[in-house]
Amino acid sequence: MERRSGTIHQERANSGTRSLFPRALWVLLLTLVSAFAHGQESPARSVYFAGSGNAPLDQHLVQLLKGELEPAISLIEVSEDQLATLDSGPIITVGPAAFSRARQANRSAHILAMLVDKSFISGFAERSPGQITGVLYDVPLIRQALTGKAILPQATKIALLATADSVELYEPLIDELPAYGMSARIFLVDSNDKLIPTLVRALGYGDFLLAAPDSAIYNPRTIKHILLTAYRRNQIVIGPTQAYVKAGSLASSYAPFPEMVELANDFLERFFESGQFPEPSYPEHFRVEVNAQVARSLNIPLPSREDIATRVDRQLTVNGEVSDE
Amino acid sequence: MHQSTKTAWVGNHRPLVTAFGISLALSALLPASAFGQSDTPDFTSGLLALEGEQSEIPEVLTTTRLRQSKLRVPGTTTIITGDMIRDLGIMTLVEALRLVPGMVVGHWGSTNPVATYHGTSQYEQRRLQVQIDGRTAYRISLADVDWLSMPVALENIERIEVSRGPNSAAYGINAFLGSINIITRSPQDTAGVEAYTSVGSRGHLRTFTSVGDTDADKSWRLSYEKRKSNGFDSQIDGGQEIPFHDGHEINNFNLDSVFRIDRQHSIDVRAGVLDGVNEEDLEKSGKLGATTNPDIIMDDYYLHVRFDGATSPDHFYHIQASYQNQRQRQRWTVSAPAAEINALLPTGLPPFPEDQGPFIADLNEDLEETRQEIEFQDTVIFSDQFKLVSGVGYRKDSFNSETFFNGKGDNYQSRIFANAEYSPFRWLTFNAGGNWEQTTTTDEDYFSPRAAANFILNNNHALRFVFSRAVRTPDAFEQNPDWSYTPTNVQPPFEALDGQRIKVEDILDPTTSTYGQELEEEWITSREISYFGQFHLERALLSVEVRYFNDDFHDMISGVINEEEWYIANNVDLEQEGVELETSLEFSGTKLRATYAYLEQEGQYTGDPAALPVDKQERAVDLLARLSARDSGSFAWIQDLPMGFMTSAAMYWTNEVRDTRFERADFRLSRRVDKTDYSYMLALTIQHYLNPKPWISPDNRIEDQNQFFVEAGIRF
Repeated sequence: MERRSGTIHQERANSGTRSLFPRALWVLLLTLVSAFAHGQESPARSVYFAGSGNAPLDQHLVQLLKGELEPAISLIEVSEDQLATLDSGPIITVGPAAFSRARQANRSAHILAMLVDKSFISGFAERSPGQITGVLYDVPLIRQALTGKAILPQATKIALLATADSVELYEPLIDELPAYGMSARIFLVDSNDKLIPTLVRALGYGDFLLAAPDSAIYNPRTIKHILLTAYRRNQIVIGPTQAYVKAGSLASSYAPFPEMVELANDFLERFFESGQFPEPSYPEHFRVEVNAQVARSLNIPLPSREDIATRVDRQLTVNGEVSDE
Repeated sequence: MHQSTKTAWVGNHRPLVTAFGISLALSALLPASAFGQSDTPDFTSGLLALEGEQSEIPEVLTTTRLRQSKLRVPGTTTIITGDMIRDLGIMTLVEALRLVPGMVVGHWGSTNPVATYHGTSQYEQRRLQVQIDGRTAYRISLADVDWLSMPVALENIERIEVSRGPNSAAYGINAFLGSINIITRSPQDTAGVEAYTSVGSRGHLRTFTSVGDTDADKSWRLSYEKRKSNGFDSQIDGGQEIPFHDGHEINNFNLDSVFRIDRQHSIDVRAGVLDGVNEEDLEKSGKLGATTNPDIIMDDYYLHVRFDGATSPDHFYHIQASYQNQRQRQRWTVSAPAAEINALLPTGLPPFPEDQGPFIADLNEDLEETRQEIEFQDTVIFSDQFKLVSGVGYRKDSFNSETFFNGKGDNYQSRIFANAEYSPFRWLTFNAGGNWEQTTTTDEDYFSPRAAANFILNNNHALRFVFSRAVRTPDAFEQNPDWSYTPTNVQPPFEALDGQRIKVEDILDPTTSTYGQELEEEWITSREISYFGQFHLERALLSVEVRYFNDDFHDMISGVINEEEWYIANNVDLEQEGVELETSLEFSGTKLRATYAYLEQEGQYTGDPAALPVDKQERAVDLLARLSARDSGSFAWIQDLPMGFMTSAAMYWTNEVRDTRFERADFRLSRRVDKTDYSYMLALTIQHYLNPKPWISPDNRIEDQNQFFVEAGIRF
């Protein structure tokens, strides 16, 4: 029994020695192939990330992007100095300044701009179709106007402040509003010191003031004065962004970051399939931020944020999605 | 940011400038944005909140001095916006008060406006606190509200807050029936140039011009207003219509400025000068045999400085000081038979000859009044659940008159006030407050408390239960008039009387005179149950406020005070009960607003039965009901039309005061045109008196039931 078994052992050992090498070779080969294949895929599916310089914001976005992209696509954070050394990208930029830096550093790079407004990115996208795109951060003005109407159902007249340079921002809105039973008038601010006199006239016209992302008028230096003047006249201000709602604007629609990141992922997938970015576009879903404290102060009964968003969506659906959305 | 903004104004390179601007805006604002994406209503402090200036947003300020939403306010407050006043074509300040449920507006004497809440007024209204931007604005020693000389232009009014119900817990003695706070537009909001004029029936003329500027550190506005009217068309004398000399012409200059010291400290400086003439008709208002019109020439000025500060977003305070001087010059000529003069002479003096013509001389009621007031107020927001406002105030009222008070005199008031708002649950808010006050008019001190519970449903409805007590002390004239006339320019043969004091107490009917007797304070105990609700309808906003009140008045001072009769005493108790409604509905392009008030009042004489004959006792009771209307209300409809047109219609009625009813419908058509650099407005208003019978007094005659007014305004 012992011999037999010993023999058997030996046989096994022999047979083991004979088959190990080719197996090892296969394993090595497979590993190499796999590593090679992986190595081939990794550079093709990585994306550079050029942040805004605002660390909490950048980290928040990186975290969300990694959650959405990885493991299929890896995200590589790059500094401003590294931008010039990058190949053709693609590069995700955050904010207009990061976009401008990336664009200047490497004009052939494919760039997906995040947190940029339509007015800012559309010119670049038109000049370099497929190469430049953006997940639009501003909110379509018709959506903002309807957000105001959802809060003040009686509102029909919207006051708009603009400079000669920014007046075009509002033109699509003015064309769209009649379909929703509203109208708007632009009050042109000629110079810095005409802001408040023009605002006072605008407040006399409109049921509420709609603020667009127009930094010449709405910026941290002016917003407080604008808001207080409006509120002292018992008029509400809608927009321009969620951040301004925190500053005291009554409400604003906004694209949630997860929605924007999801759209960025779609854009990247389409880029990796075709080598071309689609045109810049807005996320599909918006939410509404409200400042309940301001509403209470102004004695304005406020529907819930979800109600407002639903009303806006319903209006937009009934009247058809509009051109600038 | 400053740089980028400036560049943006002039820049033609929009994308780059915008990019830079947006990037800076983002860097300033996005930290909040990055964390503001959560679904939880996480309230990261914004620009306003950071500076503790959410409180700059207008809430109801007047009722407790805390800034509160109507859901949490311990009482009923009517807010009339300046825009509403202008859109309805209201031509004078006092007329705006017809929009307040329970208010009666009328004219007495030679067209002197009076507004009362729940009556209790003979003619002069002494039981309302009126403030302009927190500065006491009723007359100083006579405690009356002189609406003609109110130093505020309609165009400068941001809104008027009327706290209906005793508000002495916040504002002290005169806020007995309520308080009116006229809040003017901040000079920060009126930069630019504005001009306005309106002309109309009965010599109505009002012009207004204002110029101002604002920047980050300072804002100012200088405005000038002229208001003029011929008064009523005619009066009745002996069954005959005769001309009525009752117009006015007033010039009013105001300077309003704000200086921002830093992000948490600012100084408001306001100053004003008002002069003019208030015509008084000798037939209607002449005294002691007047032969010329005793017109009142007004010459007032004020200076008001307020320092606002904050130590944190939850702790802010202000110190305000004001100096007001009101000087009236009222002089007229009298003629009296020599026999009447001789009857007044003390025994032993030789009589004047009675065959050389009447006594002719000049008399005056010149009076200079000064009010100096200082107040410190401190607000602490411990949490959204608990807020406390408290403060101290000191006031010195001085008078100087040859006729009243026999020369110079002063009264002093000190007070301490506080109100706490406590909301243990989202659905429940308690308010408790009070005002302790000491005054030299009675040399006593008083405490006026208020307590309230507000049950808040759904964030949009509140049911309030309010209890308050308030006190009013007699004013200087009621308490210690020391009233006399000193003739000047005395014609022969009465020269010996030139410069001699003729005491009114010697002329008064001695059988009823209470002249010189000390008066005590009056008390009101008020109970209120009110409901305020807002309904967010699919296409409209509906707001409803209903107030039930039950008020007990004790020791009310009533009676007659003039140069012939003087019998006032703490001699009437009253009970008032009623319901008031204020509602508004706003939908696309349309604003509707309605008010209604129902008042029941019952009074009884509680004074010494032997002091007055029965008819005078009844009169004392009746006088307190003289301007109490059982039913009153208003309806307003403001409609936007295409091309900048707007129409409004308003109906006011008061039923009834002294057997008269006020019923008027106003219609206004206006057009506003917005050009690139300016906006202008043109309007036509028709006031149609539905009831041709004169209102309150048979002398308040308007010949044409339709009164027309044309307005034009421009703003750059």
